[in-house]
Amino acid sequence: MRKKLIATMMAAVMTAGLITGCGSDGGKTTSGGGSSSKGGNETITLKLFSNLPDRKNGQGLVEQKIIDEYMEANKNIKIEVEALDEEAYKTKFKAYAMDDMPDVVSIWGQPSFLDEVLAAGTLAELNESDYSDYKFVEGSLEGFKKNGSLYGLPRNTDIAVFYYNEKMFNDNGWTVPETYDDLLSLSDKINDAGITPVAMDGGDGWPMAIYLTDLAFRIEGPAVADKINEAVAKGDFTDEVFSDATSLLVKSAKAGLFQKGYDSQDYGTAMNLFTNGQAAMFYMGTWESSMATNEDIPKDIRENIRVFVMPSVSGGTAKNTDLAAWNGGGYAVSQGCQNKEEAIKFLNYMYQPDKLSKYGWENGVGLSAQDQTSYTTGNETELQKQIMSLLTNATSMSGTPINDCGPSAFKTVIESEIQNVSNGTTSIDDFLLTIGKSCQ
Amino acid sequence: MKKLYGNKAVITTLILPGILVFMFAIFLPICMSVYYGFTEYSGMGTAKFIGLDNYKEILHDGAFGKSLFNSLLLALGFIFIQHPLAIITAAVLDKLEGKAESFFRCVLFLPNVISVAVIAYLWKFIYNPDFGLLNNILHAFGQKESVNFFSTENAIWAVLVVLVWHGFGWGMLIYYTGIKNIDPVLYEAAAIDGSNTFQTFFKITLPLMKPVIQINVTMAIISALKQMETVYLLTGGGPGNSTQFAANYLYQQAFKAFKYGYGNALGVIFIVICLISTVLLNTIFRKKKEA
Repeated sequence: MRKKLIATMMAAVMTAGLITGCGSDGGKTTSGGGSSSKGGNETITLKLFSNLPDRKNGQGLVEQKIIDEYMEANKNIKIEVEALDEEAYKTKFKAYAMDDMPDVVSIWGQPSFLDEVLAAGTLAELNESDYSDYKFVEGSLEGFKKNGSLYGLPRNTDIAVFYYNEKMFNDNGWTVPETYDDLLSLSDKINDAGITPVAMDGGDGWPMAIYLTDLAFRIEGPAVADKINEAVAKGDFTDEVFSDATSLLVKSAKAGLFQKGYDSQDYGTAMNLFTNGQAAMFYMGTWESSMATNEDIPKDIRENIRVFVMPSVSGGTAKNTDLAAWNGGGYAVSQGCQNKEEAIKFLNYMYQPDKLSKYGWENGVGLSAQDQTSYTTGNETELQKQIMSLLTNATSMSGTPINDCGPSAFKTVIESEIQNVSNGTTSIDDFLLTIGKSCQ
Repeated sequence: MKKLYGNKAVITTLILPGILVFMFAIFLPICMSVYYGFTEYSGMGTAKFIGLDNYKEILHDGAFGKSLFNSLLLALGFIFIQHPLAIITAAVLDKLEGKAESFFRCVLFLPNVISVAVIAYLWKFIYNPDFGLLNNILHAFGQKESVNFFSTENAIWAVLVVLVWHGFGWGMLIYYTGIKNIDPVLYEAAAIDGSNTFQTFFKITLPLMKPVIQINVTMAIISALKQMETVYLLTGGGPGNSTQFAANYLYQQAFKAFKYGYGNALGVIFIVICLISTVLLNTIFRKKKEA
C-alpha cells in the first residue's frame, strides 16, 4: 500500500512538473498590451511592432534613429522593437489583434488592410488637431480615417515610376517615351538590342495592379479613383476604363515589354535585372530611390538611374503632371495598450517635421507624407531631385492603387488573376468578372 | 514493477501528460477549426455564425479544386516516379558496398539536408529564363529562345521536378534501410539456386519490402497533400493558381485574404481528405496482405 502511495505521488509530482514546466517562461513576467512598468524607477516599456526588419538601411535605419533619440531624451522610456517583413508582419499583426497588441504598430492606410482592423476596434483614435503644424501633405491623412475619426498617420508618399538607365538610353540613342505607343516602340528597339525593356515584379501581383491603376489613371484622369471605389462597392468592373486599361496591359505583356517569365519572378529578381544592366527600365515605387546611393549596385548604373512617369495614353484625359501616387504605410497606436498616452507621445515625436520626414530625406529613402521642401541642400542625388520635382509639380494624385481599394479577399484575387490575364490564360472579360465577384 | 503498472492511478498519471498534450495541441485546435469553419471571421473582432455557407463556397471554388488536382498529380509523381527510382537506387546502393556505398548514400540524401528556402531559391535561379542554368545549357545546345519554365503551362511540371528531387533522398534512405534488414541468407540461397540479379530483386527484395513500400507510399501521399513551403517559396502558387496546392491555398485564404473562417473550413475539408486517404490506403494494403 505504501509503495503504491509513493508511486502514485511520484507520478503525480512528475506530471505536475511536466505541466508547470511547459507553462513556465523562465521566471519572467509579462504584462498585458506588451507594456510593463517597474515600480521603483518607473521605467515605461513601449513595444513597437514594425514592418521594417532592416534596421541598418533605408526606412528601418531612420525609424531606429528616432527611437534611439527618443530613449536618450526620455530616460524613463524603453522602446522594444519587433520587426518582420511585410507578409510575416501582416500575419502576426492579426495574431496580435486577438490578444496583446504592441503599443505602436505599422499600418497601411488602405481599405484592404485598414477596414478589417478598424472594424475589430484594434487602433486608438488620434486627435487630428494635434497635427495641424506637422506639415502633412493635403489629403494624406484621408486613408487613415474612418467616419471622420483619425486612427493612424502616413509615413510615405509613394509614386509609381519607371526607373531607367540614362546612360544606356543615351548610348543606344533611345529617348524617354512621351506616349504609351512610344513606350511600346521603344520596347521593340530595346528587345532588338537583346536587353529586357522593363523589369517587372509580376510574381507578386501587386506591382502589376499598380501598373493597371496607372494605366486607368492615364485614361480616365483623376476621376478614376471614384470609378474604382464605385466598382469595388458594386462588385462591377464593366466600366470601359477597366477593360481599356487591362487590354493595354495585356497588349504590353504580349509585345514583350516585360522580361520573359515576369509573371513568376519576384521583387529581388526583377530589381536585379535592372541593377545589373540586363533591363533598361524597372517599374516600381519611389521607395526604391535609395538605389542611387546603394553601393552594392555598380557605380555606372546607380549614378545613371533616372525616372519618368507612365506616358500619356492615346485618348486619355490625364496630364503628364497627374501622378499615380498615394500615401500607403504609416503608424498607429493600439487601442488596448496600457500606456496609450506615452505611446501617442512617442508617435507624435516621430512625426515632428524634423524627424521622420527630415531624416528620411537625408537618407534618400523616398518621399514622406509631410512637406520636405525645406530640407533640400542641393547635395541630393539627381534621382532624388527628379522625384521631388515630380511631386512639387504634381497637379493631382491617383490615390490608393486598385488592389488595395477593396477588402483583402479582393486584393488576393486581383493580385493572382492579373497574372492570368496579362499572360493570356484568362480573357479580359473573365478577369473583370472574377475580380468583381471577389468584392461581393 | 509489474504491480506498479497494474495500478490504474499510476497508469492514468503517466499517460495524462500525453493525453493533455494531444487534447490541447491537436484535438482542441481541430475542434476550434470546425467551429470557425461555420463562421465568417477575419481573424480579428468577432466571428459571425453563417452555417454551411463556407462549405457551399468551397464547392464552387475553382482554385481549391485546382490545388487538390495538383496535390493528386504530385502524389502520382511521388508514387510512379520518385519511389520506383528510390527503390532501384537503394538496391544498387546496397550492392555497391564499402566507401562508394556511404559516399553515394550521403550525396543522394544531401538535398534533404538543405533547407527548403535554399532549395527554392536554388531552383528559382536554375529555371530563370534570363540567367538560369537550364536555359544556359539549352543555349549551348543551340536553342535560341529562352524557355520559361514557370509559364502557366510549364510551372506545375517545373514544381513537380523540384519536389520529386527534394524528397527522393528520404524515400531512398527508408528503402535502403528496408533492404539492409532483409536476411542475407535469402540472397545466398537464391545465388546457390542460380537466381540472377533481376530475379533476386523481383522475387526476394521487392516482396520483402512490401511493408516499407506501404509506409513510404502512405507518407508520400500525405506529404503531397500537405505540400506548402517549397511551393510557397518557389512560385507562391502562381502564375494565377497554376501551381496552387491545398495547404498553400488554405494559408493564403486564412492569412492573406483575412478569410479566417473560410480558411478553417478549407482546413476541415483538408483534414477529412487526409484521413480518408490514410484509411483508404490502409484498407487497400490490409486487403492485399490478407489476399
